[in-house]
Amino acid sequence: MEKTREVTTFQAATILISTMIGVGVLPLPLFAVRSGDTGAPFITVLGIGIGAIALIIITKLGLRHPNKTIISYSEDIIGKWLGKIFSLLVILFFLVLTALAAREFGAVVITAVLLETPLEVTVLVMLLLAAISARNTMNTFVYIHSFYIPIILAPVLIIVALSLKNANFLYLRPFIASDLKDSFNGALTVAALLQGSFLMTLIIPTMKNPKSAVKASLWAIFISGGLYVLIVAATVSIFGTEEIKKLYWPTLELARTTSLPGNILQRLDVVFISVWVIAVFTTIFASYFLTIQSLKEYFNLQDHKMLAYFLLPFIFTLAMVPQNILQLYDIILFIGKVGLIFTFFYPMVLYCWDLIRNKRGSKDESKQA
Amino acid sequence: MSVFRHRTRRKKKLPIDEIPSKQLEEGPKKISGTLDENVMYMKEMLGESDDFVIKHFKVFGKVSAVLMYVNSLTDQNRINNDILKPLMYKPEHLLKKDILLDELISILFSEILYDSKAKLNSEFDELVNVTLLGETVIVIDGIEEAIHIDTRKVDKRSIDSPETEQAVLGPREGFIENISTNIALVRARLPTADFVVKTMKIGRLTKTTVAFCYIKGIASEQVINEVEKRLSEIDIDAILDTGYLEQFIEDNPFSPFPQTQSTERPDKTVSNLVEGRVAILADGSPFALLVPVVFNQFYQTFDDYSSRFLMGSFARLARMLALVFSLIFPSLYVSFISFNPELLPTEFAVAVAGGRAGVPYPAVIEVLIIEISMEVLREATVRMPKQVGGALSIVGVLVVGEAAVNAGLASPITVVVIALTSIGSFATPAYVAAFALRMLRFPILVLAGIFGLYGVVVGVIFIFNHMLSLKSFGVPYMAPVSPGNSQGMKDVVIRSPLWWMPNRPNFLKPVNRDRLGAQNNKELQHNKLGNDQREDT
Repeated sequence: MEKTREVTTFQAATILISTMIGVGVLPLPLFAVRSGDTGAPFITVLGIGIGAIALIIITKLGLRHPNKTIISYSEDIIGKWLGKIFSLLVILFFLVLTALAAREFGAVVITAVLLETPLEVTVLVMLLLAAISARNTMNTFVYIHSFYIPIILAPVLIIVALSLKNANFLYLRPFIASDLKDSFNGALTVAALLQGSFLMTLIIPTMKNPKSAVKASLWAIFISGGLYVLIVAATVSIFGTEEIKKLYWPTLELARTTSLPGNILQRLDVVFISVWVIAVFTTIFASYFLTIQSLKEYFNLQDHKMLAYFLLPFIFTLAMVPQNILQLYDIILFIGKVGLIFTFFYPMVLYCWDLIRNKRGSKDESKQA
Repeated sequence: MSVFRHRTRRKKKLPIDEIPSKQLEEGPKKISGTLDENVMYMKEMLGESDDFVIKHFKVFGKVSAVLMYVNSLTDQNRINNDILKPLMYKPEHLLKKDILLDELISILFSEILYDSKAKLNSEFDELVNVTLLGETVIVIDGIEEAIHIDTRKVDKRSIDSPETEQAVLGPREGFIENISTNIALVRARLPTADFVVKTMKIGRLTKTTVAFCYIKGIASEQVINEVEKRLSEIDIDAILDTGYLEQFIEDNPFSPFPQTQSTERPDKTVSNLVEGRVAILADGSPFALLVPVVFNQFYQTFDDYSSRFLMGSFARLARMLALVFSLIFPSLYVSFISFNPELLPTEFAVAVAGGRAGVPYPAVIEVLIIEISMEVLREATVRMPKQVGGALSIVGVLVVGEAAVNAGLASPITVVVIALTSIGSFATPAYVAAFALRMLRFPILVLAGIFGLYGVVVGVIFIFNHMLSLKSFGVPYMAPVSPGNSQGMKDVVIRSPLWWMPNRPNFLKPVNRDRLGAQNNKELQHNKLGNDQREDT
């Protein structure tokens, strides 16, 4: 079956943005403040820098093989068996990432909105929604992401704008964190939140004009990164670093402190979370879709539809593994950093290997000629 | 791979002998030279009905012949004056001539019968068919061919203003049940050679004339071919309305959303044809089907375009709000009241709680009860005889609503919410699209009852995802929002000035894209500038 190439640059960028902005934004200021106090925005920028490098490597690598995804071209580069092993690990990683995102979201919902609803139900509803949507075709996947993008960006911008009147910019000084090692650690944590961008490897083969993939990546990282920095700066300037360390989801607290002018609604946090469901959905949907599409390619299947339901029990079970919210965040931080091996170092090694191999290949050819 | 995902709904075609038709059981037969034999055969076919008339006469007083027609379908005067009379009286210039049997047909055709639609045929099959469509068949003794002339006359309604799609500003003509009148209404607005009408007969028994029209050079070939293919695959006994066709040609029959647009307005049909769509008309139906469709068409009206763009945009915004209301307003109410009353301003929350004090049910049940009774009322008023309808709807809404509040079945605010929702659903111009959202309101309501705002959002995501996955004849349903198109977006939320939209909708893949001349825009600017300068001086 021939693949249709319909994805535009704009659509590719929106997919990446809506994938990168997800449930991770809620604890983001906490992560940043923990490792850098007032240097939090700086650490965030650093993390985004790392994320951007990773994304660009993935994109460049994808561009060298514009008709394949990483699952198939990794076999071409490092050999069949090594490629298979690493692909499986990557797929497993995204399976876990999907589960953790769903669980984290469930934790937020039962703490902030639905106090009496069991965690299992909220997680299952979200996973079901993602599974049913993941049965769609690649084109629909793209349409869904570009459709929701304004709804994902708007609430954050509105909340930040409304809360600025309480901001105290002194909380942001000094800008640069003192401890280099801690800063780097924090930056890695932030970069781990951007791992959804790995999806680019799936998008490139469907792009109308693959050459503009780098442009799409840069725009995506610029917009979602900008949003990250904005959130961190706003929360820190409103709460101060010490207060943030006591909060699990500072971004949510930010929504709590704001109210609409005219007192139309007394509180905004519930509304914020409800709209936030969409952002979380797109993230989980993206990693779910990435997982089953990769699996489909891994096993050379014709159709990905059955896989969507097949994986559901596994993901759900994985999501239920963490005992409590403390353990959940330990796991999330750990998995996030481990994930960087797959989403950063693995593509980098592949890229270098591919470059060397090709150079040698072209030399051989020139010798023959 | 084709971009169209269209299932052939019936896997195996039914064998043709299941058609309950006498003539096909007999098999094809040719007309013979003996008059009596031919008449006998026709009588056997059609004689059971008393409105089938067989009239014996003599052509020019000599050759015996027979005139056959179906009484109820034909114009009696025309048969008498235009067919029978010239056939019986030999004209003066031929009086002296002796006509041989061999010449008779050609003389009849070239000198006697002045009808442009007169035809010759020798197949009984065809003759029976045309008789049933209202033509008159003339069989002459000794000639192995029969003449048939179109004398159809069926009473039709006069052209009326469209009932279901009222426009404040705009033409008042609506389609009627007669297909040739409908095509005429469209063609009169499109005096161009590029406007193409193609007809086919669908329905084993009704043999309904179905026409699909498009503008060559604008509508995409792919869509035209697909429409033709899907229409020709239909094999059913009766097509009584374009709604029957719709169910066979739509992409996803299980979706609550309409994937074709039906309209009563010729002007709307023309504007859609000009955008590059295909219109499907069927005899006996006052509705044209327009394909492919995108969702935003369903809240656009002709008024939007015929009035100035500010008015049009404002009206459209109000309509969109009503559309959103009709979908989620009750569920928002339920989730606010039963899950997050802290969101409401305190005074209002207290008022709501006071109103609900006597109501024994949780908010979901209360809203569901009122919603369902509203649906019952609405359905009843549609089917009600006109004389009773008005009275009942007032009784229903006022008295029942008031009584429900007094009886402690519902709180006053619930009644307000439901009333607003119901009225909102009438603001959507397309009945079918409003119906889809009306239906979907219930599952969202249940979700809101279980999960509050979270449930509402999950429900809405689910609906949007479904809409985003729909396609109508290869066109994504949510175009031009997603996949996005900046030119198309100008006509989604607001109705931009016509000169801002120089191209036809991109998602329809029109062959010719330019709607406005390049000069047009410049001249408009120029006029404006001219006015400014005049004011200055």
